[in-house]
Amino acid sequence: MSLTSGLWAGEVTEGEKLFALKVKPLFAEKCHACHGDDPDKIKGDFNMLTRGALFKGGDSFAEEVVILGKGEESFLYLVTTRKEKDFEMPPKEADRLTEEEQGWIRDWIDHGAPWPDDKRIALIEEKYAEGEVVATSQALSADWQNRRYETTQLWAYRPLNAPDVPAGKNPIDWFIDKKLAEAGLEAAPDAEARHLIRRMSFNVTGLPPTPDRVKSFASAYAKHPGDAVKALADELMATPQYGEQFARHWLDVVRYADSAGFANDYTRPNAWRYRDYVVRAFNDDKPYNQFIREQIAGDEIDPADSEMLIATGFLRMGPWEQTGMSVFKETRQLWLDDVTDSVGQTFLAHAMQCAKCHDHKFDPVPTRDYYRMMAVFSTTQFSEREAPFLEEENRTGFAQSEEWVKAKIAGYQDQHARLLAKVKAQKTQESGEAKVGNNGLDPGDEASMSRLSKNLSRHKWELDRTRPIAFSVYTGNTIPVKSVSKRILLPNQPWGKGTMEQDRILAGGSAYSPTDPVTPGALSAAQSLGRMETHDFPAGRGSRRLALAEWISDRENPLTARVMVNRVWAWNFGKGIAGNPNNFGGTGAVPTHPELLDYLARWFMDNGWSVKKLNQLIASSELYRRSSRHPHPSQVRERDAKGRLYATLMPRRLTAEELRDAILWSSGELNLQVGGIPARPDINTEVALQPRQIMGGTASVYEPDTKPEHRNRRSLYAEKVRGLRDPFLETFNQPGPDKSCELRETSTVAPQSLTLFNTEEMQERSVAFAARLLAAGLNDLKTIDKAFELALGRMPSSSERSTCLKHWQAATQEEQGKIYKPKEFINWTERTVMAEKTGEPYSFIEFMPAFRNYEPDTQMADVDARTRGLSQVCLVLFNLNEFSYLD
Amino acid sequence: MNHSYASLNRREALYGLGAGLGTVALNSMLKAVEAGATTGVAHHPAKAKRCIFLMMEGGPSHIDTFDPKPDLTKHHLKKFKRSGDMESAMSSGDRYFVKSPFDFIKAGRSGADISTEWHYLKEMVDDMCFYRGAQVDSVNHPTACYQLNTGNRFGGDPGIGAWVNYGLGTLNENLPGFVVLPRTSYPQGGAANWSNGFLPANFQGTPLRPTGSPILDLNPPQGVTRERQRKNLDLMSTLNKEHLGHRPERGELEARMNSYELAYRMQMEVPGILDFAGERKSTLEAYGIGDAKTEAFGRKCLLARRLVEQGVRFVQAYAGNWDSHDYIERAHGSLIRSVDKPIAALLGDLKERGMLDDTLVVWCGEFGRTADNGMRGGSTSYGRDHNPKAMTMWFAGGGTKAGHTIGATDEIGAEAVECVHHIRDVHVTLLHLLGLDDNKHTYYHAGRHKQLSQFGGQVISELLA
Repeated sequence: MSLTSGLWAGEVTEGEKLFALKVKPLFAEKCHACHGDDPDKIKGDFNMLTRGALFKGGDSFAEEVVILGKGEESFLYLVTTRKEKDFEMPPKEADRLTEEEQGWIRDWIDHGAPWPDDKRIALIEEKYAEGEVVATSQALSADWQNRRYETTQLWAYRPLNAPDVPAGKNPIDWFIDKKLAEAGLEAAPDAEARHLIRRMSFNVTGLPPTPDRVKSFASAYAKHPGDAVKALADELMATPQYGEQFARHWLDVVRYADSAGFANDYTRPNAWRYRDYVVRAFNDDKPYNQFIREQIAGDEIDPADSEMLIATGFLRMGPWEQTGMSVFKETRQLWLDDVTDSVGQTFLAHAMQCAKCHDHKFDPVPTRDYYRMMAVFSTTQFSEREAPFLEEENRTGFAQSEEWVKAKIAGYQDQHARLLAKVKAQKTQESGEAKVGNNGLDPGDEASMSRLSKNLSRHKWELDRTRPIAFSVYTGNTIPVKSVSKRILLPNQPWGKGTMEQDRILAGGSAYSPTDPVTPGALSAAQSLGRMETHDFPAGRGSRRLALAEWISDRENPLTARVMVNRVWAWNFGKGIAGNPNNFGGTGAVPTHPELLDYLARWFMDNGWSVKKLNQLIASSELYRRSSRHPHPSQVRERDAKGRLYATLMPRRLTAEELRDAILWSSGELNLQVGGIPARPDINTEVALQPRQIMGGTASVYEPDTKPEHRNRRSLYAEKVRGLRDPFLETFNQPGPDKSCELRETSTVAPQSLTLFNTEEMQERSVAFAARLLAAGLNDLKTIDKAFELALGRMPSSSERSTCLKHWQAATQEEQGKIYKPKEFINWTERTVMAEKTGEPYSFIEFMPAFRNYEPDTQMADVDARTRGLSQVCLVLFNLNEFSYLD
Repeated sequence: MNHSYASLNRREALYGLGAGLGTVALNSMLKAVEAGATTGVAHHPAKAKRCIFLMMEGGPSHIDTFDPKPDLTKHHLKKFKRSGDMESAMSSGDRYFVKSPFDFIKAGRSGADISTEWHYLKEMVDDMCFYRGAQVDSVNHPTACYQLNTGNRFGGDPGIGAWVNYGLGTLNENLPGFVVLPRTSYPQGGAANWSNGFLPANFQGTPLRPTGSPILDLNPPQGVTRERQRKNLDLMSTLNKEHLGHRPERGELEARMNSYELAYRMQMEVPGILDFAGERKSTLEAYGIGDAKTEAFGRKCLLARRLVEQGVRFVQAYAGNWDSHDYIERAHGSLIRSVDKPIAALLGDLKERGMLDDTLVVWCGEFGRTADNGMRGGSTSYGRDHNPKAMTMWFAGGGTKAGHTIGATDEIGAEAVECVHHIRDVHVTLLHLLGLDDNKHTYYHAGRHKQLSQFGGQVISELLA
């Protein structure tokens, strides 16, 4: 650095420093968009590009904008305080200046508002600037390229930095206890055995423990808590339900669904194979780096391996459709945006969409990076590919499924044929000028023609459900299609028809505004700050996705392992070490225990990227068995107000799926079969029959599976239709499958009470539970005991026992003499909707083949008064706080 | 998801807690803090305190309702060629211009354009503000509906009603603040059109269903008496108290117990609101209740009035389907007849009760329709395609400029050309009318302060009284 005396004449003043380092960048970031960048559109005629222009003021203020030496009175400062009514600046709350930032402007004015020239600013920056400039690919603006980041915001991009842990110490406890000791806060004691086993059982498998296991665990835990917990964790992780539970977490992140959403909401008949792939991956403890590679680039790794093709279903999990009414260029772009963002959030904890239209506002992610990553996918094409079933895949229920789908098709075809004959006979030539539908046809019939053919398309596509096809991709040219209403076949020549897309930055994110060309790549900041070795990304016909997958799963990638161990931590403890598992950028919460996060990330990779081993490490800590209750709650509130130190563990409510599964488990109805085609459980009848519009008509009615054992499978397997959510699961905060969910919400609203207290499904579960209890042939008191053990994992207190017994007896009394008629199941329904052509309602009959031989669950009519009476106690047990909340 | 707040203002803090508390607790808390204020925490004084949003799903044709295009008569049945971005979407086969089958008049003192099909509404035009400048991005129903209802084309964001309630709170503890009156058939895109999105679940739109149980599972299965329910609730309460006694610091447990009591009370309250027995016969007649043609929407309009009277902030009523690709004379004709009388009655009723001033009524679809049509079924059937570039929406009350028509479309109604605004500006304007500033009305989610307009917009000042 050479300082010429001319430029450096005089000491740099505080005011100059403030301007060069703080105020000028602040103006550029927050003000210039409206007050300088576009000379033709200067808001309020107030230009802030030069000192002269700024001092002139604008329409609303004149010289009072800056009163030299009087920051407090200058409007430039006052407007940023947001206390000047109608002049809150910047106008967007999201852009508001912090008090510190407001202070810079005030102090700068107090110091005489100096405005050094660019050269002097450059020198001041060189000498005094704090924060860091991050080397990235090229930004859209020079200001952005040179912008400085607070060092603390860049933690996620730096190489892992984990100190050693003294020999013999559990690393998790070492890091956690250190912070607790610093805060002078003592950890809560070990949890009670029955609370702990219930919590562990739900956390690892999503199901409650058996009463026997509760007892055996309690005695083992009393002797050697550590050993007992380790044994239980290993045992639970060896059950297939472990893979199901962890798959559910993963599927939340990737937005799994069995339908495509939007106007047609067509079925995705083969998506289930991806869901089962994820379950297998966790159960087989597939190394996470391999899990990444397969989902992003399985087809490029080995297209002959079904597993590899199935894995790439990940890339297509978002909602997407192409109809005759949509522009292919736009829907193609929609997917490219979706997959870029999804890969970013899932594996790198970066919401890439923030950099789609402009360089990222907070993070070192230039728009160029966004389009470089998008270029990785521009040769990725959709196809439902031949993929022979693997031995591990569950193929039970294929016959029933096919039978039902064929019955649906036959029903619609029959209706269609009869209607067609009628239409042919009745149709007359429209007459005259005023063609208003005087073609002799009943408008309802016309609407039905279109409705039937749409539902036929859907169900014919659904025949693919049991075929050896993978919801997958291939690499090749882009071939525009007009509409997609059946499987997309693999072209013989992937580089034959169609064109190779041009990879360009799109101005404003618009597919119609291509600008600079880009080549495939990834996050340049992770590369530079993480000191990764350079990766080659092929362009042209190369395996672009494989290159990205290798880049993401590179041991030196600073983000990847951190992101996954943080997720696994959150799945175990209900919150991440870094608070936003999908967002490691500057707007996400910084890690509470950064050293621990880094230690675990390194440990994870050193141990073969094994999620099971990571879970074992977590389970081996004292933290893992900590109580959720502290002997001195006030001490915790005082010394850890934000609950970051893990003096206690967080109690939690069961998720929607856990709640439904636990109820079915208690009632003895849960079918624990693993994997396979989606199950169709009973859902609220009114919702099942509720007509919903799809393009060209009304979607075919929801029908449950015929047999109880198919309906009563784990909720993970319930068919997930984007346009028709199961109200039970939705009410209990099951996230919608359109956006990635990093962690579940827990809200408490009245409809949850209505659902759990009033639905027929809950009545049936309660009756089944009561029948199960009575089938054991115990005396009344022992029956109540058993009910508590199955539902709550504990014995009742003596007062609880006698209260429940009285309730049972009184309810039985009421039930005596009551007659319940068995429910009737009719295999058709009449629906009334609006005919598009006439704007008038019309009705039609829809057949429901599932109800031809529907086998109901246990009903009130099937059981005696004593069972019905007990079912009232069972219903109450299912509704208790204790049933829904884990300690 | 809302795990970390960049900065917590008071409202966010309260509603953040509300996520874990349920409506009653939340509202009583709000009241305590606001010390008697009944209008929540508006950003600025506003005329509109509530909103009735009449959602004409399917895309009503502006050309055949409120925006006459006499030039189309000249072009009628002449070939039409589409170009530009929309080319691939709706350009299959031959296309031709279609004139409107309806006559138009200039109605009221304001001389507003209105087709003569609107026999009742034409008497109300001096209370209405027509707007012809709005444009949306999507040519498809579900994406356009999502954009109109949530600001985001791809679904998953909160509906306008959720945003309004998040800002202003509800005025009745026993009713949801955002009520939706859907048609028997749900719209494309389904319930995501009235979702709470990333806002706490208590801001979700509650559909009052036109058939069956008005609120899902409001009542227990057949054979379960209210007494039986009460006894079950009491047993539950006894057992829950025992459990809570060991965990006094866990507020969410008590909130959950309260939510059962609220649900129990709702079973009583809701049927009362749905019961029109207390309404005058003339009122029912005015809304068209009792006449098969107008019954369905008449009930919705009357219910909307009753709901806002009871303190519900935001009611959205659906009518349709206005997607008239064919036979527009017949289809739009019968749809207009089904909503004309009920809407006129609603406006008149609100006015008579002195409620129109502070109730904002909005009428619109997800987009307008084109001046042209393609060959359908091998013959020319007079209908119209989707048109995101031009539409008519209208407002009444709530501080809008009554008796004016703002903005204009080109000579064939293909595109807005005057006072043109993206739908996000309409959203900003709606919030403004209700006392909320879109730029301040944000919720921190997934690393960003989200807002209804998505990225900010401007108030369409021409629409303000």
